[in-house]
Amino acid sequence: MFAEKYSDEIQAILSKYPPEQRRAAVMPLIYLAQREQMYVTKQAMVEIAEILGISSTDVASIVGFYTLYYDKVGSTYRVQVCTDLPCALRGAEQFLEGLCNNLGIRVGETTPDGAVMVEAVMCLAACDKAPMFQVQSGDGLSYHENQTVESAASLVAELRRKAQSKRRDGHGR
Amino acid sequence: MKMVNLTIDGKTVTVPEGTLIVNAAKKVGIDIPVFCYHPKMEPVGMCRMCLVEIGRPVIDRTTGQVVREDDGSPKMQFGPKLETACTTPVSEGMVVLGTSEKAKAGRQDIIEFLLTSHPLDCPICDKGGECPLQNLTMEFGPGESRYLYDEKMHLAKHVPLGELIYLDRERCIQCGRCVRFQDQVVDDPVIGFFQRGRSLEIVTYSEPGFDSVFSGNTTDICPVGALTTTDFRFKARPWELRSAASICTQCPVGCNIAFNTRREAVSGGKWVIKRVMPRQNEWVNEIWMCDKGRFGYHYSKSAERLTQPLVRRQGELAPATWEEALSFVAERFQQAGDGLFSIAGGRLSNEDLYNQGKLTDSLGGKKVLYGTMGGGDLTAQSGLVPGSNFSDMGKETAILVVASDLHEEAPIWWLRVKQAAERGAQLIVANPRPTRLDAYATHLVRYPYGSEAGALLAMVNTLSAKRPDLPEAVANLVRSPELKAAAKAFAEAENAVILYGSEGTGLETSTALAQSCQNLLLATGHIGRINNGLVAVWQRVNDQGAWELGWRPVANLPEAMQAARALYVAAADPAGDDPAYLAEGRLGSQEQAFLVVQDLFLTATARLADVVLPVQAWTEREGSYTSGERRVQRFYPVVPELADSYADFSVAGQIGKRLGLDMEIRLAGRTFARLASETPAFTGLSYARLAEVVEQWPIVGRGDLYYGGTTYENSQGIGVQLPLTSAGGLSWPKLVEVGMPKIGLLAVPITRLYDHGSTLLPSSMLHQRIPEPYVVLNDQDAERLKISEGAAIQLIPAEGGSWLGVRAIARLRSDVPERIVLVPRSFGLPVAGPTVVSVRLAERVLA
Repeated sequence: MFAEKYSDEIQAILSKYPPEQRRAAVMPLIYLAQREQMYVTKQAMVEIAEILGISSTDVASIVGFYTLYYDKVGSTYRVQVCTDLPCALRGAEQFLEGLCNNLGIRVGETTPDGAVMVEAVMCLAACDKAPMFQVQSGDGLSYHENQTVESAASLVAELRRKAQSKRRDGHGR
Repeated sequence: MKMVNLTIDGKTVTVPEGTLIVNAAKKVGIDIPVFCYHPKMEPVGMCRMCLVEIGRPVIDRTTGQVVREDDGSPKMQFGPKLETACTTPVSEGMVVLGTSEKAKAGRQDIIEFLLTSHPLDCPICDKGGECPLQNLTMEFGPGESRYLYDEKMHLAKHVPLGELIYLDRERCIQCGRCVRFQDQVVDDPVIGFFQRGRSLEIVTYSEPGFDSVFSGNTTDICPVGALTTTDFRFKARPWELRSAASICTQCPVGCNIAFNTRREAVSGGKWVIKRVMPRQNEWVNEIWMCDKGRFGYHYSKSAERLTQPLVRRQGELAPATWEEALSFVAERFQQAGDGLFSIAGGRLSNEDLYNQGKLTDSLGGKKVLYGTMGGGDLTAQSGLVPGSNFSDMGKETAILVVASDLHEEAPIWWLRVKQAAERGAQLIVANPRPTRLDAYATHLVRYPYGSEAGALLAMVNTLSAKRPDLPEAVANLVRSPELKAAAKAFAEAENAVILYGSEGTGLETSTALAQSCQNLLLATGHIGRINNGLVAVWQRVNDQGAWELGWRPVANLPEAMQAARALYVAAADPAGDDPAYLAEGRLGSQEQAFLVVQDLFLTATARLADVVLPVQAWTEREGSYTSGERRVQRFYPVVPELADSYADFSVAGQIGKRLGLDMEIRLAGRTFARLASETPAFTGLSYARLAEVVEQWPIVGRGDLYYGGTTYENSQGIGVQLPLTSAGGLSWPKLVEVGMPKIGLLAVPITRLYDHGSTLLPSSMLHQRIPEPYVVLNDQDAERLKISEGAAIQLIPAEGGSWLGVRAIARLRSDVPERIVLVPRSFGLPVAGPTVVSVRLAERVLA
């Protein structure tokens, strides 16, 4: 399914690597497989393994190792707030708490419409611009720096609208 | 090799350069504790259990000389931190302290750290009693934990990684031995790490779970109770077990194994087998075994076993006493005289074959080995000589594997050949279709089914002036650059070994193949030296032994049997393998021949018999087998014999005694002594010789802290490799032209590891891995014939005969040559060699 649907993209990715080392393409292929539904299905892992000539367990291991790959259904958007020490010194923890209160969820939870999840993560390399977070979706990552609860809340509201329209268009959740 | 001197805990050691400290220590009897390090795998330094203090002599940079203290001793520089003994190679003048206060404190810390998330549920853990974590905790542990019990992680304790192996996530200490074994050693990377740090877990995503025929080995090398087998899980405690040495009977490798037994109330006070473990033999199976051997032994304790002799009375088989049965048999054999026709299966021991052979020969009867592979006489002339060992093969060796799917036919040989290739051996794989060995091959040769002998002769052709005529099917192979390159690599290698199997061959083609193999070895001078020669990948454990003792297969068994006045069938089931025997009444009709069947089970052939004689399983008696490498190895009694039962050799002996023959009926050892005195290749051998052992490296199986796994130490015999009998000569085989039929398809037999053999099916735990009867078709052919994947089909032999009762599932593959049907042996379709067939789906005839 995955291999068929994205055959052009897969070929484009594979063409960047020497054929005898095509297993090196595992990361971008997982990323591609995650684009639509924000998680990698078991079927997609099997297909990636087949494309690359490795075992599906190897593919799963990589999904498991990296924190930005998911093997279970989650939210459309993930708001990942850095709470490491330098960010904490600039009020990241209060920011996170405020944002969660605003949304009526706890850290690690998803909004009832399944659109946005808020989680605390380790260093995102923008200590001087905290509070900051990144938003992960099937389209990729975007950074949002020097945030307030209000600015973040309005961004989340926008994300929830987008998620709703995405669902209407028949894309995954 | 440059040698290096160092001191470990005050002991001076001299070891080759590059040796790891942990191994150097073991050589002088010092145990440095390890978890993640395993002597059969690359070191990773993950667990830190082997921390030691290391001092190195200070070298003056200007002079390059060792700086000396005032008293003349070298000045030592100790590192600021402890170092891992498993990843650090030795260096000249090094001083290693494994028992200093600093090193001890380091170990205590590591143990304490490992125990923070270990449940310490030793009282209910299968590993308890043979667990290095338990042992090391007792030895180095802090005694009291500073960690809060309530903060321990609690994780899933019954995670099935497939139906054979269970994972207890709490007990896992994340050493990665299992993952590394599956990846590096057997190349089945079907288990892996998932998540990181404390969340790390072992997962499998294969279908079926943990899809590897070597999976049981991970439970041996797991240093905790995280991985356990379904077979042994919660069945017994290690300290209750007794062990008995044995040999696996599932294939010609002859893996050394140990049976663990216990006398238990739940089994009515009987001694029962609780598990099978590998036993170290670095010349045969090293410290490994495959799952077929580990889980396939259950047939020996099947409730279906025959327990008393049966004699046909008024058309029905009825129980009889041994005296009645044996006297009756002896009388009828006497009457039959030279009309006695003995058929023996290759799962009989040397002693059984010797006695049955003696009986048959004395009456002037005929001995027939049941099977479809030839060349056992040639492996005796040109086999591996004593001292040969796959583990020693590397760059200077070429290994040719022909007509064999080695991973299915003999998994441990597959592993050892693969590892030789990884050490730099030239690996030539010649087979009509791709197999798992292709991935390691330096040369691949493809030939059409039926032309295996021709392909080998084509190799000889490219090398020598001798130009035997080649069949048309392979004439063009001589011009193939792959074949030329393969032949050249084979000829130029200092040492060369050929393993030939039975992929697609019947007796005729197999015999021609063996002769062609010998020709290639002779033409290139690869006979009679260590690590050179011919190995047959037999279908049964002791086929080679049968050949050594003068048993030979026949091309057309039904025809050969026609003149028989009495048939003596032991450990073979012709009627079960080929229903034609039933349909055509060739067996078991009184007027034709008196039929005696000697077996463990009431087989299809036994049901036709006039007399059925039960025998002891190999776990209930002593004996010896001759492996495909011609290593004669002993097996010992594991459990007490059943009341009133005899081993095969004794049954044959008792019949012989009644005919006035001087035969041994009690002791396998004495039978073997007689065998050895009469069989040139066995000259000088005795049970005592076979039981001799030597020190093996790596040291495993003792309760030590340098932990190699629960593989048993070999204290009962590594066996003896037979010498070559004669050099053998160049003789050009008669090639059987197996061309493609004008119409129809060519059905060829192949071997599956998990088959429908009577010695495997009783192991119900393997049933999920044993497929339904199936055949494999080329996908294009299937499309033409309108057969879809999974369709039920029947094969109809072109030369007549009827297998209509036998159905099989069609599997479609693109890598099967066109117009070929692969038919796995023992799945009910009696394809004994290349056979022209048509395929029939439901009621229609298609091709």
